Amino acid sequence: MLELLWLIPTLPLVGFLILAFAGPRLPRPASALVGVLSVVFSAFVTLVVAAAFVSLPPENRVYAQVLRTWMEIGPFKPEIALYMDPLSLIMLVVVTVVGSLIHIYSVEYMIDDDGYSRFFAYMNLFVSSMVILVLADNLLVLYVGWEGVGLCSYLLIGFWYREDVNAQAAMKAFIVTRIGDTAMAVGLFLLFTTFGTLNIQAVMKAAGSADSATAAAVTLAALLLLGGAVGKSAQLPLQTWLPDAMAGPTPVSALIHAATMVTAGVYLIARTHVLFSVGEWIQPVVAGIGLATLLLAGFSALTQSDIKRVLAYSTMSQIGYMFLALGVGAWSAAMFHFFTHAFFKALLFLAAGSIIVSLHHEQNMFKMGGLRTQLPVTFWTFLIGAASLSSLPLVTSGFYSKDAILWGVWTSARGGWWLTAGALLGAVLTSLYTFRMVFLTFFGEPRQTVTRKPGGFLHIPMLVLAFGAVAVGFLETPLTLGDVRLFSTFLGTALPSHETVYREAGELIFQLICITASVAGVYIAYRLYLRGRQRVEHPTDPPAWAALHRFWFVGWSFDLLYDTLFVKPFLWIARLNRRDVVDLLSIASAWVMEACHEVLSLLQTGRLRHYTLGVALGAVAAIAIMVFL
Amino acid sequence: MNPGDLFILSPLVLIAAGAVLIMLVAAFYRSRLVAALLSLGTLAAAFCALPAVYSPKVAHVTALIVIDGYGLTFVGLVLGGTFAVAVLSYGYLEGTNEQPEEFYVLLMTACLGAAVVACSSHFASFFFGLEILNVSLYALIAYARRRSRGLEAALKYLAPAATADAFLLFGMALVYCKLGTMSFFKLQDLLVHQDGPIVSAGMAIFFLGIAFKLALVPSYMWAPDVYEGAPAPVTAFMATVSKGVMFVFLFRYFGELGSNSGNNLFILFSIMAVGSMFAGNLLGLLQRNVKRMLACSSIAHFGYVLVAFLSGGSLASAAVTIYLTVYFLMTLGAFGVIAVLSRTDREAETFADFQGLAWRRPWPALVLTTMLLSLAGIPVTAGFLAKLYILAAGAEVGRWALVVLLIVNSVIGLFYYFRLIVTLYLPVDVQTRAEFPYIPAAARVLLALLTLFVLFLGLYPGPLVDVGNIIKATV
Repeated sequence: MLELLWLIPTLPLVGFLILAFAGPRLPRPASALVGVLSVVFSAFVTLVVAAAFVSLPPENRVYAQVLRTWMEIGPFKPEIALYMDPLSLIMLVVVTVVGSLIHIYSVEYMIDDDGYSRFFAYMNLFVSSMVILVLADNLLVLYVGWEGVGLCSYLLIGFWYREDVNAQAAMKAFIVTRIGDTAMAVGLFLLFTTFGTLNIQAVMKAAGSADSATAAAVTLAALLLLGGAVGKSAQLPLQTWLPDAMAGPTPVSALIHAATMVTAGVYLIARTHVLFSVGEWIQPVVAGIGLATLLLAGFSALTQSDIKRVLAYSTMSQIGYMFLALGVGAWSAAMFHFFTHAFFKALLFLAAGSIIVSLHHEQNMFKMGGLRTQLPVTFWTFLIGAASLSSLPLVTSGFYSKDAILWGVWTSARGGWWLTAGALLGAVLTSLYTFRMVFLTFFGEPRQTVTRKPGGFLHIPMLVLAFGAVAVGFLETPLTLGDVRLFSTFLGTALPSHETVYREAGELIFQLICITASVAGVYIAYRLYLRGRQRVEHPTDPPAWAALHRFWFVGWSFDLLYDTLFVKPFLWIARLNRRDVVDLLSIASAWVMEACHEVLSLLQTGRLRHYTLGVALGAVAAIAIMVFL
Repeated sequence: MNPGDLFILSPLVLIAAGAVLIMLVAAFYRSRLVAALLSLGTLAAAFCALPAVYSPKVAHVTALIVIDGYGLTFVGLVLGGTFAVAVLSYGYLEGTNEQPEEFYVLLMTACLGAAVVACSSHFASFFFGLEILNVSLYALIAYARRRSRGLEAALKYLAPAATADAFLLFGMALVYCKLGTMSFFKLQDLLVHQDGPIVSAGMAIFFLGIAFKLALVPSYMWAPDVYEGAPAPVTAFMATVSKGVMFVFLFRYFGELGSNSGNNLFILFSIMAVGSMFAGNLLGLLQRNVKRMLACSSIAHFGYVLVAFLSGGSLASAAVTIYLTVYFLMTLGAFGVIAVLSRTDREAETFADFQGLAWRRPWPALVLTTMLLSLAGIPVTAGFLAKLYILAAGAEVGRWALVVLLIVNSVIGLFYYFRLIVTLYLPVDVQTRAEFPYIPAAARVLLALLTLFVLFLGLYPGPLVDVGNIIKATV
């Protein structure tokens, strides 16, 4: 069954091609059918392949499929090959299964849109690119997938391109991630010159046994790859694009900007983990970036009024947790949090989307309220997602994955008390902003009436994801709660195990502290936003608080900073150089070429005697060269 | 010569028989369709005979002809090219004032001459094949004999071609008087050791004659005039088959000698390569006539192939095979579009004719766009890949100067290819718009196939690379 692997990226690609070429002429149901079925079949194949893969004995759980040799020029012989191991399989399952649920959701969500088939075409292309990214056996192919998802992200953020804001948000996302991508491309060149190959396994093997001469290059390459990962995953300092990316349709936010693409950076680091452990200081940098981002985004999420922007900052913050886990070497905890996060964050976005369509595209939470009774299904599923995000104990998947990260940070040889303290503060913030959202939206007085009830296509994916948001947590439970290790055992053949040191505080006590942090956040939210709602809606006094609120609201003013530091000077130079100086060179070369053309044209007299004269002169010259030189 | 030899020669025999057959049938029953079908059938039969006569052992049929994998591959290419030209001429000859049947007879004999050149191992057979090809071409170029420009083009081809033949004969005579053989296999070995003013002068003159056929510097000047004046399908034939076989011949016997950088021959060919690249591209830059422009492009392209020829490393033979094949595909496609939009009395050839073609005839415009992109060497098309192979072949042995000049020339070439592409998509000029004729179904299928090949090989060159590697093994 493993041979079917190639179908997984191919099916959505075929769907894309059909929709791209025939889309505008297809009736809406046909577009939806092509768009949804291609991804659903792909998910089905994924599950079949996964079943066959899991039944292999653990030490054989690697499957490489060479499809073709693309071309052969001497030693340059790139192969089109796929590579599957437990790490890529987990990504694959999330991409196709969550992807198909979101496709089903979109059937109803996008129904009134003019660009119905265009939407599904982009979405199919996205799934295909993401699968290529995940299954690449070669960093070059991975880069193709990487750029493919970036392109789809651009196209989908700017999906409603007639509005200026959306087009600008799309451009911002593309340019900011491009900065990271450029760093990554340079990193790939560096790896290729160092090892002479871009095959991932070969590079990892060579990097594992790197001597001191190549170690510096490997460390630098890891740093450059980190640049790519930071851009794609919206981490500091390239995080500014993600909140604006919410301009796209909500299913896009759920699929691309929550569940899959933004976690590509996490996947990249996990995939190339050997590079990151060569240099001593790279992993602490990753952990530091993760911690800083998760706190920064957590504070910003507290102040947003747009429900999707809260979720966007929350995504940033949760990926910060994954980076933190990667940084301390808790590899499988990072992937586990990725796995649970994909379910509950997609769920939250879809539930938010169903609120938004019910309220005539209203996204401001302060204009919502009391939706608990009007949208019961949405309320309960949102609540499950919110509980999971806040890692409320025992019954939510987020609890188990975040607990694994926090415990990993605390016990790691690379961790420390300040990383743990920061992560705990983040946990308080998470449940605070999450339940702020819940209380503002679903509780209190109704501010608007629901104009359109969500139907089955919206509800079914939400219910499935809600089930997932609870159930997937039980794949991995801590020592104190059953000690199930399915997830980390499965990943054990692909990722190294976690280096731990013994800590005085026992696991149970530590868990109680984590639970307290989460519940404390919920309690503060309850006090502030349910009991004292009037006061927080107008945070005008004292002025210092208002200023701080403003500062967090605009995402710690990074936009302003980058605007002043980079954009304005760049535009200034561009304006200064309006008559491009460098351009003169190429214009001059064009003049020279034209002049040469004129001269040669003069020789084309059209007269036979001149042509034969040319041949005769040529003969003299040829003889001279051959005989006398 | 025994019956076995005759069987080995069957592809050549079949083409000759086909020419005679068409002539005989035309004597009793004149029909453009019958003549066209007969020639296509002959070419297909000869093509099918190729795998049958192939054997891993090189077969020397008398001292004149050699049949081996290398020769047969390129005979296959010649047959394919002629097949395409035959399909294209069918529509082109519709409603002509001339008798269209003899056109196919001449096409067959030209094809035969080209095939003989590709299989020749002796100067006599080489010259014999070349003359069959040339004489057929004189008549083909002037086929629309009531039009003065066809006659002018034929004369402009005849006079320099005769001069070039004289060069070839004289050069060969000089070499023969010193080395005493006309067999190229023997010459190959002797020339490595023999050096002297007489032999060198002989070689210089001999290669100048070949440079004429390939339209290389310094004897390229006839090409734009002749390509412009000849009927479009004949131009396609001249640009592909007739040039291709000369290069195949050159590469087979003198590839080793010419790529030895210590040799004066290397300098001579380097000058020819660089000169042709620049002459072709610069001359093409501001042409207002598409046929002239493509003639210039063709001059430049043989400069590019010479870079692979001059590299002579392990990649050279694969690069030459791939480049020639791809060059055949895209040149036939480009001239094919001109041919299907033309009739003997009115050719679509100026930029004004092609302005806004995309809005009037979208499919031919799409084909022409693909072919021009491929000629320019844009990725995803086969032209990119072919150029990449030449660059790889040059880089492998460190011919950096040639590689850099090739890249510079690709950039210059971009300009005029894109100039035509832009013209295709401009608004239609109502005043100068020409009437385009109906395109026969066969020509449509042919153009579609050429386009698909160019795109397919650009995306997935594996099969072509395999052929290139087989050729490498046989050289």
